[in-house]
Amino acid sequence: MRKHHDVLSVEWVKLELIRTAYATRGGLFSTMDPRMVVMWYLVLAIVPWFTHNLTVLAGLFVLGCISVGLARVGPLLLGLFVFGLIVETFYVFIAAWLFGGDTQTVIALVELTLKLGAVSLASMAAFVSLDPEKLSDAMLAFRMPQMITFGVSYGYRMLPILIEQFATVFEGYRLRSAPVENKGFLGWRMITQWCRLTVLSFYPIFLNTAKSVRTTVESLEARGFTYAAVDGRGRQIRLAYLRLTAKDWAVMAVTLALIAGVFWFGAQFPLYR
Amino acid sequence: MPQPIITVTDLSFRYPGADQDSLRNVNLTIEAGDFVTVIGGNGSAKTTLCKTFNGLIPHYWHGEFAGSVHVAGVDTWDSSVTELSAHVGYVYQDFHNQLVRPTVRDEVAFGPVNYGLDDHEERTSSALETLGITELAQRFVWQLSGGQAHLTALASVLAQRPTVLIVDEPVAELDPERAAVIYERLATLNRELGITIITIEHHMEFVARYAKSVILMADGTPAWHLPIEEAITRTGELEAHGIPAPQSINAVKALGISATPRTTEDAVAAIRASGKKPSVHWSGIAHLATQEPNRDVVARAVNVTHGYKSVSGETHMVLNNVNVDLHDGDRVALVGGNGAGKSTLMKLLAGIIVPREGTVWLGETNSRSKASPHLAEHAAYLYQHPELMLLKGSVAEDVALFPKDRKHPDTDALVAHILDRVRLTDFADRDGRTLSGGQQRRATLAIGLAMRPTVLLLDEPTSSLDVSSRDDVTHMLADLAGSIRCTVVATHDMQLVAEWANRVIVLSEGGIIADCHPRELFGSPQVLERAHLTAPEIVRIGNALGVAPVPLSVAELAAAYHGDGPPPVPTATAQTSALGV
Repeated sequence: MRKHHDVLSVEWVKLELIRTAYATRGGLFSTMDPRMVVMWYLVLAIVPWFTHNLTVLAGLFVLGCISVGLARVGPLLLGLFVFGLIVETFYVFIAAWLFGGDTQTVIALVELTLKLGAVSLASMAAFVSLDPEKLSDAMLAFRMPQMITFGVSYGYRMLPILIEQFATVFEGYRLRSAPVENKGFLGWRMITQWCRLTVLSFYPIFLNTAKSVRTTVESLEARGFTYAAVDGRGRQIRLAYLRLTAKDWAVMAVTLALIAGVFWFGAQFPLYR
Repeated sequence: MPQPIITVTDLSFRYPGADQDSLRNVNLTIEAGDFVTVIGGNGSAKTTLCKTFNGLIPHYWHGEFAGSVHVAGVDTWDSSVTELSAHVGYVYQDFHNQLVRPTVRDEVAFGPVNYGLDDHEERTSSALETLGITELAQRFVWQLSGGQAHLTALASVLAQRPTVLIVDEPVAELDPERAAVIYERLATLNRELGITIITIEHHMEFVARYAKSVILMADGTPAWHLPIEEAITRTGELEAHGIPAPQSINAVKALGISATPRTTEDAVAAIRASGKKPSVHWSGIAHLATQEPNRDVVARAVNVTHGYKSVSGETHMVLNNVNVDLHDGDRVALVGGNGAGKSTLMKLLAGIIVPREGTVWLGETNSRSKASPHLAEHAAYLYQHPELMLLKGSVAEDVALFPKDRKHPDTDALVAHILDRVRLTDFADRDGRTLSGGQQRRATLAIGLAMRPTVLLLDEPTSSLDVSSRDDVTHMLADLAGSIRCTVVATHDMQLVAEWANRVIVLSEGGIIADCHPRELFGSPQVLERAHLTAPEIVRIGNALGVAPVPLSVAELAAAYHGDGPPPVPTATAQTSALGV
């Protein structure tokens, strides 16, 4: 029997993506200056690559987990992350076993998994907290080209619309295709059909978007988009609101102190340096 | 003496790669403070003309440009889009694509900020305030309704303080009620700020009511530019260019009164002044007699409750405990304001979604017991935007998708027959996206017919169509009865309701507040008001004159005033019976 589902449905995925993109859940980092959030992220994303010490990496991983908690990352992203981590672990052991590796191979792979995990956690925390405008303004503040910063915010503006269109096209395709009579082992026939339709659904969406972009480009031209790229005043106005507060510095300082602490702790109890 | 704001001299323009001129030898003067409407058939270069005013032609669209255009004394050839955009604002027909920023405030501030103007905040606030959308400032643009999105697009060009404002077909993507709001705002801008307004329009009802002068475009050149009073008298000429006169003018004409009313009120006054009275024999029963009891139920919703989660996590209930039976032979119009649950009810009745509570029966099948692709064989749902239904590379493939995938034995013959029926045989191999709006609608109708359902559900089949394509679709819907047992149309188009439906269901505040014949609905002003519906002009005229039962077409009004004997058969019925109902 079919039932209405509020979670794990297409509608839910859509809402989750929108919530993630627009930082609607709030959290610590969403109240900070976006420039500091980006720098904070860069620190956490770079540091793990300077060590092979598993203790330190585990510590950084924990820091990542705490940040994710503070940033209030939603269930969809977390779920995908945890799923990825489990698959990865599983794969590490299979790979080590199949290719005749020993503990050393496993450790090397675990190290990589931990590094990637710590970086992913920091990315989730940072980008869930930055709504499109803030991210694009931070990039503009770091003197990235206007084309790229505008692209980021325009991409976000289009995201909900594209998701909506995708859902409609996919639904239409499914209704108009023959239903799968025999689902097969673990429903593989069903899954194959879904994958096929997902790919096919992109075709009409690309064409529709291409068709609608003409108006967008004309409108950008008429509203001084290319003018602003030459003239610097627009950039100044746009960035005038950015302020680094005590809170920003404090978060950065605490993070640096914690990282130093983790490294110190790792030096005391090193694991497979 | 008014000053000319736009002067066009000997202008010709040819798009790159085109084999003939789009604009030919145009000479035109538009005076400051005018409210001009540009009308004309499809392909008469209305939009091209307007794009020469803000410099997109020739600076963005390079083509063969001859002659000159002066805007506020500036020669557009020597100027740039940047400079001209301070004088001329442009709101597109597909205004959704014109919104480039995530929130409304950002969108409106985009122009002033780009130009580095110090008073950008004040410009933004005053533009929002002038259009009365200050409370939308923090909204995301993808959350806006069509009307709100249009006002936002308008505000964003207004923030650049133009002296000329061009609005391309505001009615195309909006329902009439919202379009009227836009026109009211434009009229205010024109009256209070002295902004010159130029609109491109198909609907004479709006032209007659708001324009001060009218430009008729034909074959890339203005046939004439006349004051509105004179322009609306040339009904024959307009008709020849595919622009039917508004119902108020036709009503007066049908009663043999010589007057050219610009509004419904004027028409009522003119008819009253003529001293004519409705005939006592008028009964208008031709429609009411068609209801016969005990017809098969083809779809049924029992105590259905449904709603959606919003981004903030609350559940927003759209339908509360709704019960409805759809019968064989029903031509149902589902009406109600935006968000009243029309699309939700249709998707429930098509089995695409299942209700949170309650049951939907499609024939003998409970919609919960089968997957939606199975149910699509019983009930087909056609989405509002045709481009989202055009999934394949050609119209023929799109129509064939359903029957072919389900191994219909004679798919090719079926597709050929259906394409012939919707008059798209010549376009069978074209990509549906390259067709005109009306052709796209017919293509989606063909897709629905190829599914050979018992119940066909259509979401807004006449929205964003010009008047003649609209009539085309209406006639095709009337023609469906032979192959579809029950048709349901969710619509804002009250003229479609009046001319096509034999049953209208009004949704409001999560429930059904009326379920009756259209004539009954249009005879009850309280229900109309409660559901935010505006009756067609002819109905409003009939109601104001106290004609009961209320006429649903101009011919019916004429019949009601036809002094002697029983009235002739009303047009709507005449059309449908001619098409074999």
